[in-house]
Amino acid sequence: MKDLHIAAMTLTCAAGSGLDALRASLRDGASGLRRNDYPNCELDTWIGRVEGVENVILEGDLARFQCRNNQLAALALDQDGFRAQAAALLERHRPERIACIVGTSTAGISSTEQAFRELDEAGEFRPEHVMPWVHTPHTSAAYVAAALGLEGPVQTVSTACSSSAKVFATAARLIESGWADAAVVGGVDSLCLSVLYGFHSLELVSPDPCRPFDRARRGLNLGEAAGFAIVEPQPEASLGRLLGWGETSDAHHMASPHPEGAGAIAAMRQALERAGLAPGEIGYVNCHGTATPMNDRIETAALRTVFTDPPPASSTKAWTGHTLGAAGITETVFSLLSLSDGFLPASLNCEDPEPDAADFILREGRRQKVDAVMSNSFGFGGSNCTLIMGAA
Amino acid sequence: MNTRLRILGSGLSAPGLPDIDALSAVLAGGELGEDKPGSGSISLLSPRERRRCPETVRLSMAAAEQACSAAGIDPAQPDAVFTSGMGDLAISDYMCRTLAETPELLSPMRFHNSVHNAAAGYWSIGAGVRGDVTALSGASDSLVTGLIEAASRVAADRRPVLLVIYDTIADGPMRAVWSARHPFACAFLLGVADDDEAAIVLHAEEGLRQDDCPPLTAALIERTADNPAARALHLLALALDGKHGPLRLAARQGPGLRIEPAT
Repeated sequence: MKDLHIAAMTLTCAAGSGLDALRASLRDGASGLRRNDYPNCELDTWIGRVEGVENVILEGDLARFQCRNNQLAALALDQDGFRAQAAALLERHRPERIACIVGTSTAGISSTEQAFRELDEAGEFRPEHVMPWVHTPHTSAAYVAAALGLEGPVQTVSTACSSSAKVFATAARLIESGWADAAVVGGVDSLCLSVLYGFHSLELVSPDPCRPFDRARRGLNLGEAAGFAIVEPQPEASLGRLLGWGETSDAHHMASPHPEGAGAIAAMRQALERAGLAPGEIGYVNCHGTATPMNDRIETAALRTVFTDPPPASSTKAWTGHTLGAAGITETVFSLLSLSDGFLPASLNCEDPEPDAADFILREGRRQKVDAVMSNSFGFGGSNCTLIMGAA
Repeated sequence: MNTRLRILGSGLSAPGLPDIDALSAVLAGGELGEDKPGSGSISLLSPRERRRCPETVRLSMAAAEQACSAAGIDPAQPDAVFTSGMGDLAISDYMCRTLAETPELLSPMRFHNSVHNAAAGYWSIGAGVRGDVTALSGASDSLVTGLIEAASRVAADRRPVLLVIYDTIADGPMRAVWSARHPFACAFLLGVADDDEAAIVLHAEEGLRQDDCPPLTAALIERTADNPAARALHLLALALDGKHGPLRLAARQGPGLRIEPAT
């Protein structure tokens, strides 16, 4: 396998826009969650909403992509000099050799919801809602490729909450097999009624700020985020290396994880094997940690199976909410920050941890240099993805 | 860039085309009917699961099961790539209507079936796949997107991959953005091609803005123009006779593909 580096990255979520703001939030324990104020939604919960998404206007040729998901993506591309990094990548490689792989679960559905709220008398979309580049799961990768001028393979990965972790594996395969020389990868998910009322219908939404791994946890909070990274074999500068990945299926149930975490265990072991690392060489795990009673219990058991003595671990979802299709990129960026900064974030809001997790779940941030970190993402359909990143 | 692949098996599920034999008959000059695809031909789901699962699942699983069986491969074994431009349009319609009228009454089962990887997830459950089953979209480029993804997996992992291509129809206002009138699903079990084996070669071809393929019968050409997924009929024809090529499949973004038979 080629040595793959993360040459650039950025993230925008409720906890902050851009890496500097996020570092400060992680250090200060400043959650981005707020009481639900999403329009047309009466649910009593907290959400991770990004300020100002509504005000972004996509202009010129990009107007065909106008929707909340792509507006959020545009905001994220504006941070950390990412557009300039992409332009520099285009100097190093021909545009048709740069792949664009973006994960999403919500895509443009908030616009589709609106189009259905405003049907005309004949029950059809009003002309302003006839937007073929928006009402498709593919809107995310299509927009990013168009916005950055990338002309290699373009793909949207949509496997629920593992989507934007899998983009790294996809990029690695395209580069390994010669279909691309480098890739812009990422994930974008935006708040919408589908996920707010959908998770509510499954009785998984917490009325309080979520408390991953706490005994008193009451469910998840929905959030939105957009993040991007450049994956390249020989970059000019490196923020970290992609060492391994594992992609597995539970083959169990559409909405419930395997009771023994079989798919999660297999994903972590596959990632370790590909990275050529022993479990003891992982210095930090960023957990899926949604704060639903079942996820955190099963993930704890799975970690105990893979690691006899689990390394320091946390869920960062009490900063961001569960950003679903963007959770993979969100937590990969947090994991890469822990490598570069030597700071392991706490499992915010976890005050009284589950007894089985009490010895390894971080209740406070910790200064500690680590050489390899793991990030877990598990989704509906029993889709699991584990990534392992190493120091540059 | 190119990748050499072997088509180990293929499957088909569309109105009038319930399997590959039906396609052979149409290619030989037979009539193309419009009867509903045979949803009874799925053995991997229990009757209860078959009743409860969405239409995209029934449609895609029938094709996937045929491809594995034609290749003589246990469906639990290969990693799988499901590619669809629009996912489940009937569930999107239900979700958006319910959210507009009575959001508190949203069905939890319809919600978890609304994920784009529902067909992939049910396949993993039905076939018992513990490896990777991914779900992609490339909008109307989904066929090309899926072929490139499957090719890169076979080349990188050196083992067979199941590629499932499907798209259904909009029965409501989404017709304004997706005009297909016939659902379509097909599947290919793709494997590593040794040098002396009959194979296909996929080449990236830039600047291709329109498909260019050898002729099919008029009724089949109508299907390829109707539903972007049905452009795969050309690749099914190539899998059947080893000659129907070269195929040029265009993409609106990214490279198109030139597919040539190779011996």
